Amino acid sequence: MITVDYDIVVIGCGPAGATAARIAAEQGLKVLLVDKRQELGAPIQCSGALSAHALESLNIEPAPEFIHEPVYGFDVYNETGEHTTLDYRCLKPGKYGTDDGKKPLGYVVDRRRFDRYLVTMAERAGVEVWLKTEGLGYQPLPDGNCEVRLRKYNQEVNLRARVLVGADGLQSQVGKWAGLTTHIKMTELASCLQFIVDQVDTSGLLEIVTGHEWAPGGYAWLFPKGHGYAEVGLGVIRTMTPNNAQWHLDHFIRNSFLKDRFQHARILEVQGGGVPLAAPLRTQHAENLILVGDAARHVNPITGGGIHTALVGGLVAGQYLTALIQADKPAIAANLSGYMELWLEQLGNKMWQLYDLKKSIFSVKDITERNRMLYNTMADYFSPDSVYKKA
Amino acid sequence: MSVNTRKEPVVFQIGWNACIHCGACVAVCPQEAGFISPFDTIAVQTPCDIACMVCEDICPVTTITHVPLSQLQHAGAVV
Repeated sequence: MITVDYDIVVIGCGPAGATAARIAAEQGLKVLLVDKRQELGAPIQCSGALSAHALESLNIEPAPEFIHEPVYGFDVYNETGEHTTLDYRCLKPGKYGTDDGKKPLGYVVDRRRFDRYLVTMAERAGVEVWLKTEGLGYQPLPDGNCEVRLRKYNQEVNLRARVLVGADGLQSQVGKWAGLTTHIKMTELASCLQFIVDQVDTSGLLEIVTGHEWAPGGYAWLFPKGHGYAEVGLGVIRTMTPNNAQWHLDHFIRNSFLKDRFQHARILEVQGGGVPLAAPLRTQHAENLILVGDAARHVNPITGGGIHTALVGGLVAGQYLTALIQADKPAIAANLSGYMELWLEQLGNKMWQLYDLKKSIFSVKDITERNRMLYNTMADYFSPDSVYKKA
Repeated sequence: MSVNTRKEPVVFQIGWNACIHCGACVAVCPQEAGFISPFDTIAVQTPCDIACMVCEDICPVTTITHVPLSQLQHAGAVV
């Protein structure tokens, strides 16, 4: 009988890591979840938009603890301000709304509180959680397990585990330990900046502004943030513009057709991040190791949304690893390839379709035509009749 | 956009006042594991021999700059 310290060690306490850890612990596995940060969810690198469907599919209650504001649809703009309003309170009035028996289409969540909430769920399921703990490396062992090296409050700790899960985000170092190609091309990483602002009115919709003039290679957004606040931001592909995201956001706020709504805006927070508008990693596993969430590029290449995809990726990872370990199979790469197959079946194939769609738009050289294609695609994507609509 | 046609090794410098710790520079960096600072930015005290400068370009607030390693060595800096 082989003794290991943990069945699974998960590096990264974001939605993907916390979910993978929780699912495995709920089935009786011994799981350690670590993160080098002292405050989960911070610094915020995300708009926080999330569908209600995503929470339902993971049995996560939409708790007031982490919800900034419910949302009921979208308003998608083209470059000149023409727009398609997709307010589900009007499109499906029997299902979506504020009345009893109706529900929101989605939420804007507080990532600090949401991430902490998910980790709390994991901890209550039996997961051991260590903060201020960073991963230093891992090494597959001849007995089919692996050694994981960590640093916790400046103390080095070596552990033996059956599997290491890299949920360490877009900047994943875990994948690099295994020799996986995790860095992302400049042409596929949106450079994003957003401001949390006061005195900007919103109406329960996620407002999305397309057009090369405002956000080359990406789009701009204006989301409600609760308590009268809003967030305005954008993402740009830097190979498509000589200017940085900061310049573009300033240009958007000062000069776009929405400028009148920003005239009294007061900036309360500055946040930013890199958002991959890329294909998922072709290889998301190695000996005793899998990647999940942003680390594996589980991000919607059209919208840049990554919370839902991280939750689903975490669910798939947790379920697959539980079955593997409970069957007492070694976590060799050949056995872990099944994780990717399951993920492709449940989500990944759709991600690849969206990536091909995104590529077809941004390969168009004519800016007017590209603008038209992106606007139509975004409006179609969020419509009730979208072919990509969740079941 | 940054230009470094000679591709000589450089040492990156970060204007911490403007850095928003978004991690985009690390995500786009083609270096091996470990070319990262304790603040989740690209490494600032380690020479970068790739010198592709994509980290400078991706930065949303353009707060990454570089100094050629040779210039630092000439000035007697220890890197």
